[in-house]
Amino acid sequence: MAGTGTITEQGITLSGASYAVAGRPILSGLTLSLTEARIGIVGRNGSGKTTLLRLMAGLVAPTEGAVRIEGADPADRKAMLRHLGILFQNPDHMILFPTVGEELAFGLRQMGESAERAAAAVDALLAAEGRAHWAKAATATLSQGQRHYLCLLSVLLMRPRTILLDEPFAGLDLPTQARLARRFATLPQRLVTISHDPAAVATADRVIWLDAGRVRADGPPADVLPAFTAEMARIGEADADADLAG
Amino acid sequence: MLTLTSPVETPLHRLPAGAKLAGLCLATVVLFRLDSPVPLGACLAMLAVLHLALGLRFASTALRLLVPLWPFVLVIAFWHLWLGEPAAGATILLRLVTAVAAANLVTMTTRLSDMVTVIEKIAAPLRRIGLSPRSLALAIALAIRFLPVLSQRMGQISEALRARSPRRAGYRVLIPACLAALDDAEHVAEALRARGGAG
Amino acid sequence: MERTLSHVALFAALIAVLGFVPAVTLPFGVPITAQSLGIMLCGTVLGAKRGALAVLLFLLLVAVGLPLLSGGRGGLGVFAGPSVGFLIGFPVAAFVAGLVVERWTAPVALAALSGSVLGGIVVLYAFGIPGMALVLGKSIPEATGLALVYLPGDLIKCALAALVTRGIAQMRPGALLSRS
Ligand SMILES: Nc1ncnc2c1ncn2[C@@H]1O[C@H](COP(=O)(O)OP(=O)(O)OP(=O)(O)O)[C@@H](O)[C@H]1O
Ligand SMILES: [Mg+2]
Repeated sequence: MAGTGTITEQGITLSGASYAVAGRPILSGLTLSLTEARIGIVGRNGSGKTTLLRLMAGLVAPTEGAVRIEGADPADRKAMLRHLGILFQNPDHMILFPTVGEELAFGLRQMGESAERAAAAVDALLAAEGRAHWAKAATATLSQGQRHYLCLLSVLLMRPRTILLDEPFAGLDLPTQARLARRFATLPQRLVTISHDPAAVATADRVIWLDAGRVRADGPPADVLPAFTAEMARIGEADADADLAG
Repeated sequence: MLTLTSPVETPLHRLPAGAKLAGLCLATVVLFRLDSPVPLGACLAMLAVLHLALGLRFASTALRLLVPLWPFVLVIAFWHLWLGEPAAGATILLRLVTAVAAANLVTMTTRLSDMVTVIEKIAAPLRRIGLSPRSLALAIALAIRFLPVLSQRMGQISEALRARSPRRAGYRVLIPACLAALDDAEHVAEALRARGGAG
Repeated sequence: MERTLSHVALFAALIAVLGFVPAVTLPFGVPITAQSLGIMLCGTVLGAKRGALAVLLFLLLVAVGLPLLSGGRGGLGVFAGPSVGFLIGFPVAAFVAGLVVERWTAPVALAALSGSVLGGIVVLYAFGIPGMALVLGKSIPEATGLALVYLPGDLIKCALAALVTRGIAQMRPGALLSRS
C-alpha cells in the first residue's frame, strides 16, 4: 500500500520540551528538529523513550517547552490523524475492538469515512495481505505477534505521513522481525523507531541516544551506535540494577 | 464471543429485531393481564408448539435456558400447595415461565449486531443529553473486547498468588483485578485518543 | 470523555468477569457470587455517575444476549424473571454507593462500607423486593422474607467492597476516581 505522505521539511520539532510527573523530571529540555525519513531513538529501559513518543504524539502535553508536528500542535489528535500514526509498545494497549475487521475499520471511521467504505477498504487490505480470513477473527485469539501485526496494519490503513513505532520488534520471532523490517523499508512515510536494540535502528538516517531523559548523542548511526553499544556493555559488566530507580 | 443467539437458523432470525422487541413488549403486557391458569397455560402451550416447530435442537436449548428458574418454581409450588391454593400458584408459575421463555425466544433469534443497531436507534434521543449513539456502540464493543482480557488476567493473578502461597487465591484476587481494569481503562483512553478520540 | 468511556466499558466487563468466579456457598445453602460486589465496586471506585453508567452498560450487554449474569444467565428473559427488580436496582445502587464515597469525607474504607450498605443493600433491596413480589405474586413482607436469605452474603460483599476500595486508595490513590 502506498502512503500519501511526502516527507516535509518542517517535520517534528521539540523546543526545550520537558516532561515531569509529580515534580519528577522524566524528560528534560529536549530541543530537536526531526526531518529525516528514518529516525531511530535508542536508550536503556526507563530512559524516557516511550514518554518521548507520547509527547511527540500529543498524548501528553510537555510541562515546559513546546512540541510541533509539521507546524501544528499534536494535542488535537483528530486533526493529527493524517499527520501522525502511533504503534504502541504493547499491542494489548492498542486494540480496542473484539474483531479484526472492527479494529481496522475504526481508524477510517474516525477519519470520516462511511461505514461501507471503511469496510471495503478493510477487506481490500486484508485480501492484499493474504489474510482475508482475519476479518471476523476475534482479536483476543490472535497470538502476540499477530496482534502486533494487526496494530501495524491499522496504523498503515490510515496512511499518516509520519509513524511513531515503539519497540516494533519486541516479542516477535526472527522471521516475523525480518518480514516486518522489509515492510518498513518500503514504506514511503517518515518512521521514528524507538528501540533498546541498536540493530533495529542500524539503517536509520539519524539516531538519537536518550539517557535519563536527555539527549546523550545525536547523529548518524555509524557515530552513535558504537558508543551506545560500548556503554551498554560497560553497564552490563557492572551491577546493572543499582540505578534502576533512576 | 459466546452469545445466547441460537446457531440453528430459524425463520424468526430473519424478522426485524425492532418488530420482535415490540412484539415481546406487547406479549409481556398481555401475560401480566391474564389472571387464571387456563389462558396462561394456553399461551405457554402455543409458545411450546412454536419452539418445537423451529426444531427439536432449538427447543431443547430454549428449555435449558429456563433451568435457572428452578429455585423459584420450587418455592412458589410448595408455598401455594401448603396454603392449598394450587390455582393461584399455577397462575404465577405459568406466567413466569411463559414471560421468560418469550423473552429468551427473541434473544435466541436475534443477532448481537442487530440488537446493537436497535439499541443505537432507541438511544438516539439521548444525543440531546450528550450521549451519542456512536459512543454507546463503542462502549459495547470495548466491553466485549475486554471480557476475555480481564477474565484471563484474573486467572493469571490467581495463579500468581497461588504460586507464592499455599492458600486458594480467594478474595485476594479482587484488588489486583480492579487495578488491572483501572490500568486497562487508562491505556484504552490513550489508544482512543491516539486514533482521534471518542467524540 | 475517552477516560469516562474507557472506565465505564472496563468496569462493565469487570462486573461480568466477577460473575464467572464460581459461587461460594454459605453454610445454609445460599450461593453468593462476586457479581453484586462488582456493582458496589463500580460505585465506590468510579464514583456515582461513571459507576451507574458502567452498570447500565453491563445490563445492556446482558439484554442484547450475552450470558454475563452469574450462572451464565442473560438475554431478555432475565428481565421477565424474579430478579428483575434487582437488575433495575443495580445502577441505582452503584450510583448511591458512589455518591456516599464522593460526598462523605470519612476515611475511604468507612465511606465505602457505608456506601455499599446503603446502595448495595438498602437501595438494591428497595428495588429488588417489589420486583420479586410482582413477578412471584407475593406481598412485600413475604418477598422480603424470600430476599433475606441473601442478606448475610451481601453484608460480606459490602465488607469486601470496603477492603478493595481502601486497597486501591492505598496502592494507586490517583486511580480512585470517586475520590479525585
Ligand atoms: N505515568 C507515569 N508516572 C510516573 N512515572 C512514569 C510514568 N510514565 C513513565 N514514568 C517513568 O518515566 C521513566 C521513563 O519511562 P518510559 O516508559 O518513557 O521509558 P522507556 O525508555 O520507554 O523504557 P522501556 O525501554 O522499558 O520501554 C521511567 O522511570 C518510568 O518509571
Ligand atoms: Mg518504552
